[in-house]
Amino acid sequence: MGSYSSHVSKIEDLQGIIQETGFSKAHVCRLYDRFEGLDQNKAGQLSREDFQRIGELAVNPLGDRIINAFFPDGNQTLDFRSFIRILACFRPVTVDKSAGPNSPEPINSRSNKLRFAFQLYDQDRDGKISRDELFQVLRMMLEAQVTDDQLDSITDRTIQEADLDGDGAISFEEFRKSLENVNLEHKMSIRFLQ
Amino acid sequence: MSKAFGIQIDDDEMTESEEEDDDEVEEDVKQPEKKRKQQNSRKPSKASQDEEDSSEEDTKPKQRNNRRRPPVQNGTKKNKNNKDDESEDDESEEEAAKNSRKKTRNKKNSKVEESDDDSELEGENKKTKKNPARSNNKNNRNNGNKKQKNEDNKKEKQANQKDNKKGEKGNRKDKKKKKGKSSSSSSGSSQSEDSLSEGELAKVLEEVEEKKKLVAIMRTKAWRMKRKLAKLRESQAFVEKFEGALGKGKGRKFYAYKVMMTKKWIKFKRDFENFKTSCIPWEMKIKEIESHFGSSVASYFIFLRWLYGINLVLFGLTFGLVVIPEVLMGLQYGTIPRKTVPREEQPTAMDFSVLWEFGGYMKYSALFYGYYNNQRMIGVFKYRLPLSYFMVGVGSFGYSLMVVIRTMARNANESGVDGDDGDFNFSWKMFTSWDYLIGNPETADNKFASITTSFKESIVDEEENQKDENIHLRRFLIILANFLIFCCLAGSGYLIFYVVKKSQTYATLSELTWYQKNEIDIVMALLGMFVPPLFETIAALENYHPRIALKWQLWRMFALFLGNLYTFLLALIDQVNIQLADEESVKNKTLAMLNSFNLTSTNSTSASIPQIDPADFPRGPCWETGVGLEFTKLTVSDILVTYISILVGDFIRAVFVRFVNYCWCWDLEYGFPSYTEFDISGNVLGLIFNQGMIWMGTFYSPGLIGINILRLLTSMYYQCWAVMCCNVPQSRVFKASGSNNFYMSLLLLILFLSLLPVVYTIMTFTPSFDCGPFSGKAKMFEVIMETIEHDFPAFIGQLFGYAANPGLILPGILLMVLAIYYLNATSKTYETANLELKKKMQMQREEQKNRRNNKNTVNPMLQDLEDLLPSNANARKSESGQNTNKKVVEKQPTVTNGATRAHGQHGKEMMLAPPTPRTVVTKPPNPRQTSRPPGQPRSGPPGPRPRGPAPGQPRR
Repeated sequence: MGSYSSHVSKIEDLQGIIQETGFSKAHVCRLYDRFEGLDQNKAGQLSREDFQRIGELAVNPLGDRIINAFFPDGNQTLDFRSFIRILACFRPVTVDKSAGPNSPEPINSRSNKLRFAFQLYDQDRDGKISRDELFQVLRMMLEAQVTDDQLDSITDRTIQEADLDGDGAISFEEFRKSLENVNLEHKMSIRFLQ
Repeated sequence: MSKAFGIQIDDDEMTESEEEDDDEVEEDVKQPEKKRKQQNSRKPSKASQDEEDSSEEDTKPKQRNNRRRPPVQNGTKKNKNNKDDESEDDESEEEAAKNSRKKTRNKKNSKVEESDDDSELEGENKKTKKNPARSNNKNNRNNGNKKQKNEDNKKEKQANQKDNKKGEKGNRKDKKKKKGKSSSSSSGSSQSEDSLSEGELAKVLEEVEEKKKLVAIMRTKAWRMKRKLAKLRESQAFVEKFEGALGKGKGRKFYAYKVMMTKKWIKFKRDFENFKTSCIPWEMKIKEIESHFGSSVASYFIFLRWLYGINLVLFGLTFGLVVIPEVLMGLQYGTIPRKTVPREEQPTAMDFSVLWEFGGYMKYSALFYGYYNNQRMIGVFKYRLPLSYFMVGVGSFGYSLMVVIRTMARNANESGVDGDDGDFNFSWKMFTSWDYLIGNPETADNKFASITTSFKESIVDEEENQKDENIHLRRFLIILANFLIFCCLAGSGYLIFYVVKKSQTYATLSELTWYQKNEIDIVMALLGMFVPPLFETIAALENYHPRIALKWQLWRMFALFLGNLYTFLLALIDQVNIQLADEESVKNKTLAMLNSFNLTSTNSTSASIPQIDPADFPRGPCWETGVGLEFTKLTVSDILVTYISILVGDFIRAVFVRFVNYCWCWDLEYGFPSYTEFDISGNVLGLIFNQGMIWMGTFYSPGLIGINILRLLTSMYYQCWAVMCCNVPQSRVFKASGSNNFYMSLLLLILFLSLLPVVYTIMTFTPSFDCGPFSGKAKMFEVIMETIEHDFPAFIGQLFGYAANPGLILPGILLMVLAIYYLNATSKTYETANLELKKKMQMQREEQKNRRNNKNTVNPMLQDLEDLLPSNANARKSESGQNTNKKVVEKQPTVTNGATRAHGQHGKEMMLAPPTPRTVVTKPPNPRQTSRPPGQPRSGPPGPRPRGPAPGQPRR
C-alpha cells in the first residue's frame, strides 16, 4: 500500500479529483496506474486504440459503445481527469445509513449508473431507446443463426415488456423500472482489490 | 451534477406550478418569513407540550420525506431546475443566518426518513385519525413552512455541497458546521481509511475529541430526549469508528491489524469461492454444452453427474464394507468349493470369451454373491461379513431412497422460491446478459452462443404463452394422439406377452434355432428402435411446449421399457425356479455323499476327507450368482450398445454428412440425413433404467456397482465429446424446468420397482445351500436374528420381538398414513395461497401498466373530482391514496406543492379571517372528500388552481 506515494506527485489536482469523484486517494492512485498502463505511447492521454487493446472490450459486443462513452464530445483523446470522472460512476456504493436526503446525489448513485448503461443503448441521445436501437444491440449480441423475424419479435416483446407509457420506445424511467430488481450497485462497480 | 438533489425537487415542483400561477410567486417568497416567525414563536411551547404535539412533529419529517421522494425520478429535469435554483438564491439569502437550527432538525429527520413508505403512511393516517383537526391544520402550515425552509437550506447546502457529495463523511461535516472545509478527507468509505493524510488525521482527531466532549456534556444540553439519543448514538458510532484509526501506539496498530485482517479475509473468501466452483466436477464442460445446446441438454448431463455422485457413495459402501473385507480377511481362493472353479470348467476358465461373459474365474470371484462364505465372523477383527453383506444391501436402497427424496424436496423448494421474475424477462436478457468481465475470445464465443440460446428458449416459452387457437381442435388432437399412443403401447405390450409365452413353449423343444433362441431380444430391440420415434411423430399432433412434450415422451417410453423389464424379470424368475428345483436334487446328492463320508470317516481314519479337491466337489447351481450374472451381462451389453450407437449413429453419420456433402447431389447437412440432435428422452431413460438394473443387481453382484461407476465416468466424457462434436442443437431449444424433479420422479419410480424384486427374493426364496454368505439359512434375513441372538443382550431380542408384533406395526402404519394425509393437506393449502399471491402481484403490475397506458380512459372520474375539488382536497386525497397507487405517489409532490401554495395564500387570509382549516377538520376524518366543500369558497378562485396538479401529469 505504500508504493503509490510516488504517483501522487504525478497526478495533477489530486484534491480536486478526490473531491469531484469521491474516490479515495488510494483508489485514484490505482486508477492512475491503470491509466498509465493503458497509455501505450506515454502521451498522458488515451486514444480509442488504447481502449480497443483491452481484451474485455474487444470481445464485447457493446465494446465500441463503451469506448464511445469515454469520448463524449467527439474528442479523440482522453486525459486522466475525464477518465476518472467517467469511472466515478462505477465507484462502489458504500453502505451509508447516515447520509440524509439533504446530501446531493453522489456521482456513483444507482441512477447515474443506470444512466451510463442507458446511454450505451440510446445512441442518438434522445432520451429513449427506440426500436431500431434495440434491434441493433440484439444483432450485435446474438449469433447469426437467429433470423431477422425472430429478432423483430424479440425486440417487440422487449419493448412491450418495458414500455409503460405505450410510446413504442423505452425511456430512461422505464429502463430504470425494468431493472429495478437487478443488483446494479453491485454489478456496476469497480471492485478494488481490497 | 453538483446541485443538491433535495433542493431540486422543491424547485421542480415549483417550476411546475409556477407556470400556472406566476402571480403567487412573490407572495410565496414573502410568506416564509411570517411563517417562520409563527413557527418559532410556537417552538418553546411545543417543546413542553404533551405527546400529541410530539407526534405531530413526527409527521413533519414524514411529509418532508414524501416531498423529497421524487429526486430520483426527477433526475432528468436537473439542469433546468438548476437555473430556477439560481434565480431564487438571492431571495433566500437573507435567511441564511437562521439556517443552522433548521439544519439540525433536518439532520434528525433524515433518520426518520429511512423508514419505508408503508410505515410512514400508517403513521400518518393514524395521526390524522387521532387528531384530525390539529394535524390537518398543521400539515398545511407545515407545507407552507417547509417550502420556505427548504429555500433556507438550499443556501447552506450550496456552501456545503462538496461535503454533501461525499456521502457519509460529508454529512458528518455538515453536522459539525464546518463549512467550506476542503473535503480533502474524501474517504467516504471505511475501507480506505488508511489512506488519510496527516492533515486529515488531525482533523478527524479533532472531531473525535469534539464528539467525545459532546457525549460528556450531553446531559446538560437542553435538547429533547429523542434528539439527545440520536446525537449520542451518532457520536458514539463515530468515535468508535475513528478512534482506532487515529489513536497512538497500540490502538492504532490494532486498528491497522484489524483492517489488514479484514482485507485478507475478504480475499480469502473470494479465493475460496473460486476454488469451490472449480472443484465441482465437469462444471465447465456442462456449462459449455449448456451455452450451445440449451439447458435441456445440460440437464441430462447434470443428472448424469448427480447419479455418478450417488453411485460413488454406493460403491464406497459396497466395496469398503463387503468386497474388500472379504478379499483381505476371508478364506483364499481355492480353499473351499464355492471359491473354486469347478473341474469341468477349469480348462476354459481363463479364455477371454468366457471371461467376457463373466464366466470362469470371474464367476468365482468376489464380484458375485456365490463367492462369499457363510462364516459368521472372519479375520482377526471378527468381522461379521454376512451381516455386513445384508446391511449394505438394504442400506444401499435406504440411502438411494433418502437421497432421491431429499433432492426432490430441495428442488421443489427452490422452484417455489424463484418463480417471480417473469415480468421483465426479455428486458433483463437484453440489458444484463453480457458478462463484461469476459476477456477471452473463446469464452466470448460461448457467451454469444449462450445468449442466443437463452433468447431462443425465451422465444419458445413466449410462443407457448401466446398460443391461442381452436381449443376444440386442440383437445381433439390431444385425445387422438393419446389414443393412438395407447394403442401402440397396448400392441407392443401384447407382442411382448405373446413372445414370452411362446418362448416358454420353446423350453420343451430340444433343438432351438438361432431365431427362436433370441426371439425376445430381437422383438424388444425392434420395439425400442421403432416405437419411440413413432411416439414422437404422434406427439407432434398434440403440439405441446417441447418441455411438456419431453415429459410425455418420457412417460410413454417409460411404459414401453417397463415391458422390457417385465420380460427380463419374468425370464429371470423362471430361471431361478428351475435352478431352485435343480438345487434340491444336488443338495440331496451332496448330503448323501457327505453322509457316506461321515460314515467312512467314523469307521476308518480321518485322513480320507481331504482326498476330495474343492474343484471336484458337487455343487448346486447357485441361483443368486446366476441372477447377478444376468444383471452384469445386461449392463455390459447395454453399455456397449449405447456407446456403439453413439459412435455409429452420431459420429460416423456426422463424418459422413460433413465430408460426403462436398460430392453429393443434395445438401446432406440441411437435407435428409443431417446431423443428429441430442436425444434427451432416450438418454435420460437409458440412464434411469440402467440405474434400476444396478439397484436390482447389486445385491447379488457387488461388483456391478464398480462397473457402473466406470460406465458413468466414461460416458460423461464420451457423451460430452459426442455432443459437442457431432450433434446440432434442437430446432426448438427449450428451457429445462428449473429442477430436475421430473427425472427424479422417474428415478424414484424405478428405484421402487427395482426394490420390489430384490425384497421379494430376499423374503421368499431360500438361499442356496452351498454358496453365498447366507448359505445354510432358511431365509436371508435370518442373519439379523442370528446377530441379535448371539451378539446382543437378551432384552434387545425381546424388544425386537415386541416391535415386530403386528399390534404395534399396524397402528404405526396408520399413524404414518394420517400424518401424510395431514401434511399433504397443509401443503395444498400453502400452494393455493402461494398461487393467489402470485396472481395478485401479477394483477397489480398489470393494473399499473394499464393505468399508465390509458390514463385518460381509466380515471376520468378521478379527473372530474380533481376539477371539482380545491387544491387542499387534492393534496389530502393523494396522500391518502398513496399506498394503493404508485402513480399518485409520483405526482404527489406537485400536488402537495400546489396545496402549499394555496395555503400560503390562505395564510395571508388567515391573518384577517379566523383560522378556517380548523373548522374543516373538526369533522370526522372519514368522509374526506365530502369535507372539502367548506374549504372551497375560501380557497379563492377554484378554477385555475385545482388544475395545478393536472399539467404536471402528462409531463411524466
